[in-house]
Amino acid sequence: MNTRKLLFVVPFALIILLLGSALVTAQQQDISIVHYYSSALGQETMSALFQSFEAANGEYKVVDNSAGHEDFKTQILVTIAGNNPPDLFSYWAGARTQFVVDADRLMPLTDFWNENNLDDIIPAGVKPAAVYNGEIYNIPMNVHVVGFFYNPKVMEAAGITEMPATWDEFIAMCDTLKTAGVAPIALGSLNRWPAQFWFDYMVSYTAGADYRQALMAGEAAYNDPEVMTAMETWKGLVDAGYFVPDANAYDWTDAADQVANGDAAMTLMGTFITGYWDGNGLVPGEDYDFFPFPVINPELPVVTHGTVDGWAVPASAANPDGAKALLLHMLTPESQAAWALGQGALAAVSNVDTSIYTPVMKKASDYLAQVQFLSGYDLSTTPPMAEGGLNMFAQFMNDPSGYATYLDETEAVAVDVFGK
Amino acid sequence: MNKTRYWWATLFLIPPLSVYLAFVVFPLLSSFYYSLTDWNGFAVDYNFVGLKNFEKLFRDPLFSNAAGNTIIWTIAAIVIPTVAGLTLALAMYERGVFANFYKSLFYLPISLALAVIGQIWLWIYQPNWGLINTLLRGVGLDDLALAWLAKPQYALIGVIIAWAWQQTALSMVIFLAGLTAIPQELIEAAHIDGANYSQRVRRVIIPLLAPASVVVIALAVINSLKSFDVLYVMTRGGPFHSSDNLAMFMYNESFQKYNMGYGSAIAVVLFLITLAVIAVYFRQSANVERLYD
Repeated sequence: MNTRKLLFVVPFALIILLLGSALVTAQQQDISIVHYYSSALGQETMSALFQSFEAANGEYKVVDNSAGHEDFKTQILVTIAGNNPPDLFSYWAGARTQFVVDADRLMPLTDFWNENNLDDIIPAGVKPAAVYNGEIYNIPMNVHVVGFFYNPKVMEAAGITEMPATWDEFIAMCDTLKTAGVAPIALGSLNRWPAQFWFDYMVSYTAGADYRQALMAGEAAYNDPEVMTAMETWKGLVDAGYFVPDANAYDWTDAADQVANGDAAMTLMGTFITGYWDGNGLVPGEDYDFFPFPVINPELPVVTHGTVDGWAVPASAANPDGAKALLLHMLTPESQAAWALGQGALAAVSNVDTSIYTPVMKKASDYLAQVQFLSGYDLSTTPPMAEGGLNMFAQFMNDPSGYATYLDETEAVAVDVFGK
Repeated sequence: MNKTRYWWATLFLIPPLSVYLAFVVFPLLSSFYYSLTDWNGFAVDYNFVGLKNFEKLFRDPLFSNAAGNTIIWTIAAIVIPTVAGLTLALAMYERGVFANFYKSLFYLPISLALAVIGQIWLWIYQPNWGLINTLLRGVGLDDLALAWLAKPQYALIGVIIAWAWQQTALSMVIFLAGLTAIPQELIEAAHIDGANYSQRVRRVIIPLLAPASVVVIALAVINSLKSFDVLYVMTRGGPFHSSDNLAMFMYNESFQKYNMGYGSAIAVVLFLITLAVIAVYFRQSANVERLYD
């Protein structure tokens, strides 16, 4: 081929190539997505799920615009308010989803639920997390159970072989650990929410789950004697020196590290801690294990607090069909199994083979199957109220002696928020 | 200016002016507008509530807390960068070969984003292995090794120190520039008249640095009022609002508590305060210019 021909052929071929690739891109649809599964919370596994979706559905391309876990809360609000929402976003089931539903910003997914017979695979116990004002708005992705995660080697060294089921046994165990020179409880409340699990269980197990739900809905007062008793019980543990000092200086991963390193014996946390530890090479059952929060008053119902993470589609999503296709992929037994193992979550669907669970997750899953599930504090009450409560928990961990004043101040917030 | 030139100038002003209108004036007016509503930040509907948000501001203990902290920050902004910046500038003014090296060294913090500075100081304050506590433990002062940013009594001052670290570098550079502008004859004349170093600094150099001081103080105050990034990275206003300033309080109300209307009211108050400071600055700098004209 002479030079002149080459000069003609090369640009021509390039134009054809460009046109061809433009055609392919035009056929491919973008699904923009925002989620809060950053670094320690399963980012790698989530990206792998997007890749397997794209491999199976060549017509779609997932565009992941995610920020960090704490920044997500602002990011999603700004994109929705600016009418530039993603097609799909991860969201905590409960009060936060309710808040967006009430603002008419979410697409109802009831038809999608029925067409795909999701009742067959999502257990009745998990379904309430999906329903708001009588319609489906949040498709569950996983469930997290909050309980004690402990270091078995530390327990063994202190001579503890049986995990406590009652409050007296729990106190005795903390005493034994303290005498052995180990801090019994690690808590990292730098970002405040890890402290809420203590409040949740204290109220549910001293005043009952019904009272606790009334408090969350603004129908009870933070300075009621019931909440005072709950805080006094919590204060008893802090005063006895069972907590690692300066909880507000550490993040939840710092507290997890304190347990893993043997500086503390246990931490009250969600099952997502297993994903963090597994990622650091810890062996479930050997390096860490689980026991449920011990019962304080045996006359009250046994509950578990936790989180249901789900997916929501904004009302003005550009590609709702793409979002729904991706949702179906997230609910396949294979995706759910991969997510459960990668993130340390319990699957939201019932057709996952639970033999894939680690022995620790199996324990959490069995516990969940027996008891009533209640969302954690900041997912049970409205976001403005949750801000007031979360602050109070941090204040309490700094100096528990002022708990009565803190409760009065929090009730003042509640009066404002609920218009009492 | 003739007519053609006038039209040309107007034509060329249109692009920057429209950018200014779209990105400064419009959001500003929007904030004023939303401050009169109960908009939660993403709902389609909202109601007009008149001046209710402003009334609430003056009853809200969190607002007085944030306003108090902003005042503390502003006072610190006037004192720390000015005194430290002037001291460094005087120490480095005409001091041989190492002066340039030290100048660059002290200037370094300016090249860092405040978010990065926040991260560096988080490590400095870290309770277990941070620089401060490691030093304290190293000299046997274990009892003084505290969880600095987790204590409500130290969190705010901890963040201000990190912020002032950068602001001091900026002040130093401005003072150094001011020093080079002082005629050498004046200082030498004072020297010959028998003034010692301290007298020369107090009676000659500092009065002649008035223009530089106005710039240093005004910049420090304005930067302190708008400081948010360093606070966001270091404490997010915590623990429990102890280090909130007005900017952080505004952010929390708007984006954490979903009270965009109320948050806009805080923004309006913050805007008016900043405007007052800028007005004082312009007046002062005009006075100073007249003085030296």
